[in-house]
Amino acid sequence: MRISSLSFLCAAFGLYAWAAEARDITYPGGISVMTMNTGDMNGLYGFYSPTARYSLGYAGEYWRDGDYTIHSVRLNYLAKRWNNPDSQANFYLRSGVGMAYGEEGEDSDREISPAAYIGGSIDWEDRRFYVSYENRYTYAGDFDDSFKQSARVGVAPYVGEFGDLHTWLMLQADHEPEAEHPVTVTPLVRMFKGAHLVEAGVSNQGDVLFHWMVQF
Amino acid sequence: MKRLFIVLASVTLLFAQPAFAGETVRVNVNGLVCDFCARAVEKVFGGQAAVETIAVDLSAKLITIGMKDGQTLDDGTITKLVNDSGYALVSIERVEAAGGQDQ
Repeated sequence: MRISSLSFLCAAFGLYAWAAEARDITYPGGISVMTMNTGDMNGLYGFYSPTARYSLGYAGEYWRDGDYTIHSVRLNYLAKRWNNPDSQANFYLRSGVGMAYGEEGEDSDREISPAAYIGGSIDWEDRRFYVSYENRYTYAGDFDDSFKQSARVGVAPYVGEFGDLHTWLMLQADHEPEAEHPVTVTPLVRMFKGAHLVEAGVSNQGDVLFHWMVQF
Repeated sequence: MKRLFIVLASVTLLFAQPAFAGETVRVNVNGLVCDFCARAVEKVFGGQAAVETIAVDLSAKLITIGMKDGQTLDDGTITKLVNDSGYALVSIERVEAAGGQDQ
């Protein structure tokens, strides 16, 4: 896929949340497909989970500030899960390696650089409340060398049963020390039903967050 | 009149059959807090040849498995499937559908 095509596709679907709220690992044999959009980036992802402990797949991310795209192979690993009677907590590690491609100029003279990233996340949820924290360090040559982190809190206005439409009201805070606006806050709504999850919100900078995911 | 009686009796017997003739297994699980968790359990258990039906109750943290007639999953297999789904087994209860005897 051409880089510009990927960027267009990502933008068209609109999405970001690099850890995808820990839904990037499913059940054994499961596949998850995600698109993400925030003020910072657009992403398109597809992962296969051989077991419930890890998944492997493709991540394509267009980063707006640097005007470049990373195509990478990503590993998501559930390092630890705490299964409690009424709650669940998780600690995930994620890393990816690939190539970064500049979007400026013609195809023949676009800048290219090796790229890699690593990070982790921790979350806790019961059927009413949700909290999470995640971070990521990215290196992509001249394009990027940065650290990002974010945290979320959420509450479900009602508790649904299996198969119902589930709704969460959430608040996400993002911290990017080197960004023009280092801290952004995004209120958002998460809804999921069946195999689909959708999140939508608008940050205090006016940027739209949209995230869609489906599991097979 | 006799013919009508026979027809009614046959219909009654037909609907008196259980939805599945095999064993019912109730599995209590920790960590089952979301719809995607329940979907994982449904997918993993649903892939077993012995399983006829599966229902997940998030409030009760309960997986109810209806086995095919004459088939079952042993406790070790159920424990492994729960773990493979990403959750922790608490207890297993078996109920015979036809006789209604708890084990």
